[in-house]
Amino acid sequence: MSVIIEVTPTALLVENTLFTLSAALYVLAAVFHVLLLSGKKKAGLIADLIFKTGFLLHTAFIVTRGINVRRVPFVGHYEFGNLFIWATVLLYFLLKWRRRGKFNIVGAFLTLIVVLYLSYLIVVPVLFPSINIDRMHRALKPVLRSSWLKIHVSASAFGYAGFTLAFTAAVMWLLRSRLPEKKYPARIMPDCSTVEEFMYSAAVIGFLFQSIMIITGAVWADISWGRYWGWDPKEVWALITWFVYAVYLHARLTRGWTGGRAVALVLIGWLAMLFTWTGVAWWLTGIHSFG
Amino acid sequence: MPVLKRIVRYLGSMRAGLALLVLVTVVSAFAALQEQAEVRQNIYGSWWFAGIIAFSALNLLFCSVRRLGPLCRLAYRPPVVRSAADLRKMPLHTSVKLGDVPDRAAAAPALAAAAFRAAGLQVSGEERGIVFGERDRAGYFGSVFTHFGLLIILLGVMIGALSGFEHINGGIAGSSFFVEEGGFTVAVQEVRMVQEDDPAIRPRVYSDVTVTQKGREIASGTVAINEPLRFGGNAIYHTTFRYVSALTIKDTASGRQKTEKYWDEDKLRLGEEGNFLYLVRFYPNFSLNTEGIPYSKNYLPENPVLAGILFLDNRPVHNVYLHLNRTETIETKDNVFELTMIGFENAVVYTVSRNLGRPLLATGAVVLVGGLVLCFAFSPRRFWAAYEENTGEMIIGGQSYRNRYSLEQTLDKITAAIGGREEE
Repeated sequence: MSVIIEVTPTALLVENTLFTLSAALYVLAAVFHVLLLSGKKKAGLIADLIFKTGFLLHTAFIVTRGINVRRVPFVGHYEFGNLFIWATVLLYFLLKWRRRGKFNIVGAFLTLIVVLYLSYLIVVPVLFPSINIDRMHRALKPVLRSSWLKIHVSASAFGYAGFTLAFTAAVMWLLRSRLPEKKYPARIMPDCSTVEEFMYSAAVIGFLFQSIMIITGAVWADISWGRYWGWDPKEVWALITWFVYAVYLHARLTRGWTGGRAVALVLIGWLAMLFTWTGVAWWLTGIHSFG
Repeated sequence: MPVLKRIVRYLGSMRAGLALLVLVTVVSAFAALQEQAEVRQNIYGSWWFAGIIAFSALNLLFCSVRRLGPLCRLAYRPPVVRSAADLRKMPLHTSVKLGDVPDRAAAAPALAAAAFRAAGLQVSGEERGIVFGERDRAGYFGSVFTHFGLLIILLGVMIGALSGFEHINGGIAGSSFFVEEGGFTVAVQEVRMVQEDDPAIRPRVYSDVTVTQKGREIASGTVAINEPLRFGGNAIYHTTFRYVSALTIKDTASGRQKTEKYWDEDKLRLGEEGNFLYLVRFYPNFSLNTEGIPYSKNYLPENPVLAGILFLDNRPVHNVYLHLNRTETIETKDNVFELTMIGFENAVVYTVSRNLGRPLLATGAVVLVGGLVLCFAFSPRRFWAAYEENTGEMIIGGQSYRNRYSLEQTLDKITAAIGGREEE
């Protein structure tokens, strides 16, 4: 039975406007970042400002969505997608602040990936009608009415955020190692070992949160369904993603894997994460189909 | 014996660990793309998959035990540094001019110790003019804790699989069922449905149950979704709720009448074999959409209907909608039946399970997360400082365990602290 929450036209307008504006600003920030990467240094400051404004509006959108659905806006592809994009940008700003601007240029590549994720939420459903990303305001199913929802989904969003940042750094590493050092964009990028350091930090954060997500999911499943693990495709793919990053961390920490091999593992991990998020929902059936 | 030693060494190696991890990943990825019901039996429930997991557990155990000694040595026996020249050989080192500090050689150790403390290091004293400080020693043991956490989880899974069971059953208020595997009886005392503000939202169903063993009550309480009843390693979970309809069936030829309770998908036989009413589903607020397909407007019992399909000679004939207290007449080849739904009630379906591995699973999860935090939030760092007479410089060298970035940051803090003192 479809359970739709009534939302006033004004509230809906505010929510949609905030989403559209934030998405537009992310796209604009990506454009200015591309200019920066092609050598227009002044574009960097403007891009950063637009990126921050977009993030603030995105925060406002998530709060508004939460008010409109009268619960935490963590359920379904649309809400989770937004939460995870927001978490990715937040994590980037936190890492940037903690590392005192050492990784400013990561933002240039990150905005492009944010635009890629947003296009999945906005453009893909238009191009492929079989992919239905439901934007309706729906009430929670009884099984989801649990405080574990907040912990489990937040951990998942920050896990994906960490992996996305690691992927961003992996892409940067590939470019930096192949492009001539004195030409743009390599000229304004940190050296490969610094990029790798960022990739490792982001992967560590992702791995930690992914571990928390799997554990809290198991605890919640045990409370709700009487079993902590059911080999559901989403569970299995979350575990596969965890395994890939476990291999990466072990290979790096114990066998000293760096460079191309480490980057390849991070890229595979990101693909596994992407499949867990999108592929499992559209190609496989399981109990994690909450809209 | 050497063969056994070699096998144990290989099983505890990182190479074997990574190979097993890749193998589990590939098998799981393949399995996730297959039909789920088959996969549970043929892959996840197979002896060879259990074997891979067992080998992974052995690898974790051997690997952790093997690493424990070297890690303890690494954590508690820092390398011996004898001179400033040794520090200059370290991959990360720097030199700071001490400038106008009076009696530099005598003041240098105290200056270095103060700078180490300012950078958050624990200074463990000075030996032959070399000051030593370190922090986050616990970080060395993160991987061991993580691996032991995983091992505890695997042990919990094993105990759960060997000692546990899963039993699905249920009933209406006043009914009971025996759980053979657990040797206890579950009696359903009362079933209550609580509607949400929006009646279109699936309501919550609460049921009061009493558990008895050999006539003695061992547990009682209310079960609802996300609120299981736990007792002695067992748990009763609310899985779903169903509707049970009470029907009166009157055989007009013989005048015989009976009243029975029926669940969705039950078959109600009407005279000869092959003639029956297949009771498809109960709708609390029945309606038909524009295509004539039945649905429930919401969960309010405003128009309760039990929908079924009449089969004659095993062939579907037409739909039958049994409204509350309204008699429907059904004709078969040789007879006429009068059917009336005289009531309905809620039934609950439970999953009763036992998993004695639960405490281990919880402990393992906590140890695992704690280990990961130790691994990644604690970056063990060591610094030494020595005054070099001939250059008048303080040489500072550092070593980290896995995190060069935090080492560089701490070195910056130390040099800044020494520089600050110098200015004073």
